[in-house]
Amino acid sequence: MISHDELAERLRDGDEKALRTAYERHGAAVLYLAQRLLSNRADAEDVTQLTFVAAWAGRETFDPQRGTLLGWLLGIARRKAIDRIRSTVRDDRVTQTVRAQLSAPDQAELPERVVDRLVVADELGRLPAEQRRTLELAFFDDLTHPQIAAVTGLPLGTVKSHIRRGLANLRRRWEVDGATSGSRSAGSSRAL
Amino acid sequence: MQHLDPDRLVLLALSEETEGPFDFDHLAECAVCRHELDALRTVADLGAESQDLRDLPPPPERIWQSIEAGIAGPAVTDLAERPRRSPRSRPRWLMPVLAAAAAAVLAVAGTVVVDRLAHRAPAERVTARATLSPLPSVPAAAGGTVRVLAEGEMRVDVRNLPLTTGFHEVWLIDPDDLTRMVAIGNLSDKPDVVLTVPPGIDMNRYRLVDISDEPHDGDAAHSGRSLLRGTLTY
Repeated sequence: MISHDELAERLRDGDEKALRTAYERHGAAVLYLAQRLLSNRADAEDVTQLTFVAAWAGRETFDPQRGTLLGWLLGIARRKAIDRIRSTVRDDRVTQTVRAQLSAPDQAELPERVVDRLVVADELGRLPAEQRRTLELAFFDDLTHPQIAAVTGLPLGTVKSHIRRGLANLRRRWEVDGATSGSRSAGSSRAL
Repeated sequence: MQHLDPDRLVLLALSEETEGPFDFDHLAECAVCRHELDALRTVADLGAESQDLRDLPPPPERIWQSIEAGIAGPAVTDLAERPRRSPRSRPRWLMPVLAAAAAAVLAVAGTVVVDRLAHRAPAERVTARATLSPLPSVPAAAGGTVRVLAEGEMRVDVRNLPLTTGFHEVWLIDPDDLTRMVAIGNLSDKPDVVLTVPPGIDMNRYRLVDISDEPHDGDAAHSGRSLLRGTLTY
């Protein structure tokens, strides 16, 4: 499996296989985001397609120094999805207005939150195995540090440092790639 | 001022311990620690919410095919053989078919055999032929040739097609309107199959040959899973 850096470089060089690899790696996350934002499968698939086509066209604007490929793709997808919502509103303002009145606003999830979650999930998957395992036990199984030490057989001090470093890694990634980083997201995907 | 211990912040962020009077007082005064704790809490919450995202299903292949079509568009103009066609806005349900077709046109444009006279076999009069090339999702070793014979038959040679649980079907598609297609017949296990072209069909129009993988689902329409493509030339 090629590294994320190498993938980014190949993509920038115009290697179509790199785009395919990017699709295999991140297509699911892009589609998930689009589906969460659009609630219509056909629109979500369209937005996914548009996102990767735009990424290909704008590949030279992607700057790996400023964020990851996933963060960049999600940034493009978010804007494509919002464009799609806007054009739907234009096409069918009446229906949309009615629908908006019917659905409770607190049910809709903020796009930023979905992006952040995808970014953190991706980073979690990239952490060293022990760091990841201890964090998973803390996040998903709600175990305390001593319980995690008991389950994994690791010394309590090791569990502590894994969790502290793991959280710090997630945080760093979130700050770089998360939706709130906004203008700091990698490359000028805004124009795509 | 002494800041809160980093390990302490982690425990608070994970709600493993609750804020005591000392933490409370310090956080009330110290913006740095407040900011740290807020950030760690958000990340911990995001982490806890990420469980469902660990194993997202892979995105469907049809999206990839439409991506390929999208990126192939401008490149087609580089090939002298095909006239430039401006991109048009199309209904979204067409995308999978269009995508695969456009990618294929590009893929085969360079490989089509142009000179029919040089290859004319004395025994059978070939009126058109095409070289079939694999679509990107298909192993590169797959391929084939198609010869249309004067007698209204079509000889299809294929090699190294991916195995299928269904069957391989031969189609003629109008490259100018990719929703228009005619099913010609199925490939048997033999590498060389002769199929009858329906009489009256305009082979100048339906000139894109397509070999698809069809499931046994009783649906006569194209499955959208094209394996080989090639354009007939005369």
